[in-house]
Amino acid sequence: MPMTNSLLSVEDVNVSFRTTLGIVEAVKNVSFEVGRCETLAVVGESGSGKSVTARAIMGMLAPNAIVGENSKILFDGDDLSTWSELELQEIRGKRISMIFQEPLTSLNPIYRIGDQIGEIITSHESISKQDLKARVLHLMGEVQLPDPEQRYMQYPHELSGGQRQRVMIAMALANNPDLLIADEPTTALDVTVQAEILSLLKDLQTSHNMAILLITHDLGVVSNVSDKVAVMRRGEVVERGSTRDVFDNPQHPYTRHLIDSEPKGQPDPIDENAPVVVEGKDMAVTYTLKSGGFFTPKLVDLNAVDNVTARIHEGETLGIVGESGSGKTTLAMSIIRLGEYQKGEITFKGDRIDQLNRKELLPYRSRMQVVFQDPFSSLNPRMIIRQILEEGLIVNQIGASAAERDSLVRQALDDVQMPHSSLERFPHEFSGGQRQRLAIARAIVLKPEFILLDEPTSALDLSIQSQIIDLLRDLRRRHGLSYMFISHDLKVVKALCHNVIVMQHGKVMEAGPTADVLANPQTAYTRRLVDAAFKVIA
Amino acid sequence: MSNTESIEFDMNAEDTSGPSLSYWQLVRKRFGRHKYGVAGLIFVSLILLTAILAGLIAPYSPSEKDRSSIYTPPQTIRIISEEGGLTRPFVLGFEEVMDPNTFEITFEPTFEKKQTIRFFVSGSEYNFFGLTLDKHLFGTDEGGFVHLLGTDGLGRDVFSRMVFGARITLAMGLIVMGAACIIGTIIGVTSGYLGGATDTVIQRLIEFVKSFPDLPLYLALVAIVPRDADPMAVFIMFAGILVLLQWANLARELRGKVIAIRSVEFVRAAVAVGATDRRIVLRHIVPNMSSHIIVWATYVLPEVILLESFLSFLGVGIQQPLVSWGVMLNSVRDFQSLAAAPWLLSPVAMIILSVLAFNALGDGLRDAMDPYAND
Repeated sequence: MPMTNSLLSVEDVNVSFRTTLGIVEAVKNVSFEVGRCETLAVVGESGSGKSVTARAIMGMLAPNAIVGENSKILFDGDDLSTWSELELQEIRGKRISMIFQEPLTSLNPIYRIGDQIGEIITSHESISKQDLKARVLHLMGEVQLPDPEQRYMQYPHELSGGQRQRVMIAMALANNPDLLIADEPTTALDVTVQAEILSLLKDLQTSHNMAILLITHDLGVVSNVSDKVAVMRRGEVVERGSTRDVFDNPQHPYTRHLIDSEPKGQPDPIDENAPVVVEGKDMAVTYTLKSGGFFTPKLVDLNAVDNVTARIHEGETLGIVGESGSGKTTLAMSIIRLGEYQKGEITFKGDRIDQLNRKELLPYRSRMQVVFQDPFSSLNPRMIIRQILEEGLIVNQIGASAAERDSLVRQALDDVQMPHSSLERFPHEFSGGQRQRLAIARAIVLKPEFILLDEPTSALDLSIQSQIIDLLRDLRRRHGLSYMFISHDLKVVKALCHNVIVMQHGKVMEAGPTADVLANPQTAYTRRLVDAAFKVIA
Repeated sequence: MSNTESIEFDMNAEDTSGPSLSYWQLVRKRFGRHKYGVAGLIFVSLILLTAILAGLIAPYSPSEKDRSSIYTPPQTIRIISEEGGLTRPFVLGFEEVMDPNTFEITFEPTFEKKQTIRFFVSGSEYNFFGLTLDKHLFGTDEGGFVHLLGTDGLGRDVFSRMVFGARITLAMGLIVMGAACIIGTIIGVTSGYLGGATDTVIQRLIEFVKSFPDLPLYLALVAIVPRDADPMAVFIMFAGILVLLQWANLARELRGKVIAIRSVEFVRAAVAVGATDRRIVLRHIVPNMSSHIIVWATYVLPEVILLESFLSFLGVGIQQPLVSWGVMLNSVRDFQSLAAAPWLLSPVAMIILSVLAFNALGDGLRDAMDPYAND
């Protein structure tokens, strides 16, 4: 039922991929429409087929993809699925353009910013050099890049992530497209930058009269910027409608589930006078960087962590918040003696551990554990789960016999709600959320008193995130654990942490009980973080 | 769209049923789809089998001489008898005919010297894993000879020598490959894992080794080794020199990979549970290098085969009476013997075949072991 005013109409699109294990259906009978100057958000978790759908529209699928017979992609009345590669090239970058998730890798590192934007224009029309430069500078102004003249001559590595994403947007806008496909445009960026990019996209949409197809997993983004929503799950669109309707009155149980999985709840109250478990006092980490030319070497000290003190009481969860590069991970790793540091007094349960060497630290290792951010690289791909979980027990000589270790490992699996059948499997057979549970199991099998959680949820889908948070809360209660929780996401911190430290450039900006800090931020930086997490863009 | 039916939301219920495939099982599965690689594997197995069963497959020993046939061309296996009917396979001996004008001697097959081919005949004795056997896959029983690929200047059977040559050539390849892998892995992993001053010293050593001009080094070997030295001693020294020059490449490649993997989170997690260096290296780092080492090995083997034949051809490699493909080529150094007996070049075919087969196998393994292959 083609509507009169729709710019893009996707009808019954099927995409499957040929793989070793047979044909995998990635997108099944997906239909949606995008009207002129309208924003449609396609929401779904990883593997739901949302990016594949976007690539199908652009004709940019991998060679092993098969597009279904009856699939129709009507763009302004023409069926793109019947077009040849040459015809599609005409339209790509001119009438439909795309921005990608990863601004670090989507720009060519050896060309100047100005030339890269200019290339998009010259590949679709011939234009004089002066006019080209003027157009490029105008575009750079439009995306609010500071000092366009100077940026024009710079290379991608000289720009920050947010600036690079602005350059990508400028490139996408270069030929005044009718449709902009934005594939997770803010996911790789810091929260505060995310908000800026989104409001920029919204402004540009009005000034350029273009439609936006926004692909995202982040419901916060959806509710802020889109007019319509299509929710995808396992390759199918399960719900479509206007953003307001879908959010206020979700019809499909999966949509309801997604909306409910925003991190909620409060941390359990703790005893104010509980003894201190871990303390890092006046921690300082300095990196010496070499700069200057070959004949004029200069050594510059970078203070990654600048005299920071962190204290965690028994049963407490301390959140450390900040943007990337603020030194939060560096601080935490040095406190559990997994990272280098120059200065500081580290105390674990009353024992000074900052002077101990690796051998002397061994008795403390099983008492303080760590869960890393990326569940895909934190499990050795060549070991089965039993070997991974057992390793700490063997190293620390916990459990006298194989049978005893087996029962400990099984208990840990029960704790993280994973089936015992996982023991004989390899990490690659599990999803991201399951792997993160296994990584937590590896930590708790040693019965630690303290766990460092280094962004344990940021690589996971939203609904899995909330499950992991529930799990962590439950484990804390049952085992009397103390956590140090590193995150850039204040929503998660609010749900989990009693106290919070806000860091920027290696320094503490603000510290105190989470509720106080969030309700009444004292510094502009904290306020920006809080706004980015909780405020809806007007 | 099925909005009405309720859908369960157990996010953990993702596919954890079905058979569990280990990394190596996945590799095997993926390798099976690589046709070129599988062909390589089949040929590699055949070549290895030939080397192991050389005594059985070759009709004669490599030094057995047929004084009645010097430089005779390859014989064709025939199954049509003189009278035109089908018979058992046979070959024809040659009659020397002198061209009255050019005085050139040519060999004409003649039915007077017909030799019937029989299977599993008794012949010269050979040693097979400690057993002394005398059965050969084929041969003749009337005291005559069969020379499928002709004979050389001493009347030795080229086919038999080529089959036995596979042994020495492949033994050289496997010894060099194995030793270079072990040394390269130990040094490379040590260098990458320890880092710091150790790393610097090892890297400078590798650069030193790699800056050796290799050809003069091989030629120098001839100068060092006395003329009447035991051929086995020469063989071992030759292998030693090849190992010395090959391990450095692997060590350097592995060092880079170890540095990358050292900071991956599963290694840091092992540090966090208190694992020792020894455990981290043996349980976490080396197993994750194994695919790289195996692929490197399958590429280095053909390289050694080529080097061996090249140097033996020049006379600086393996010495007589050991027979390798290179040694056999050594007898066609001069143009005259090449023109008179081109069949002496047949080891070249074996060299090409085995180099291609090992490279194909390496290609297949590399694709199959690629951890980023998305299927």
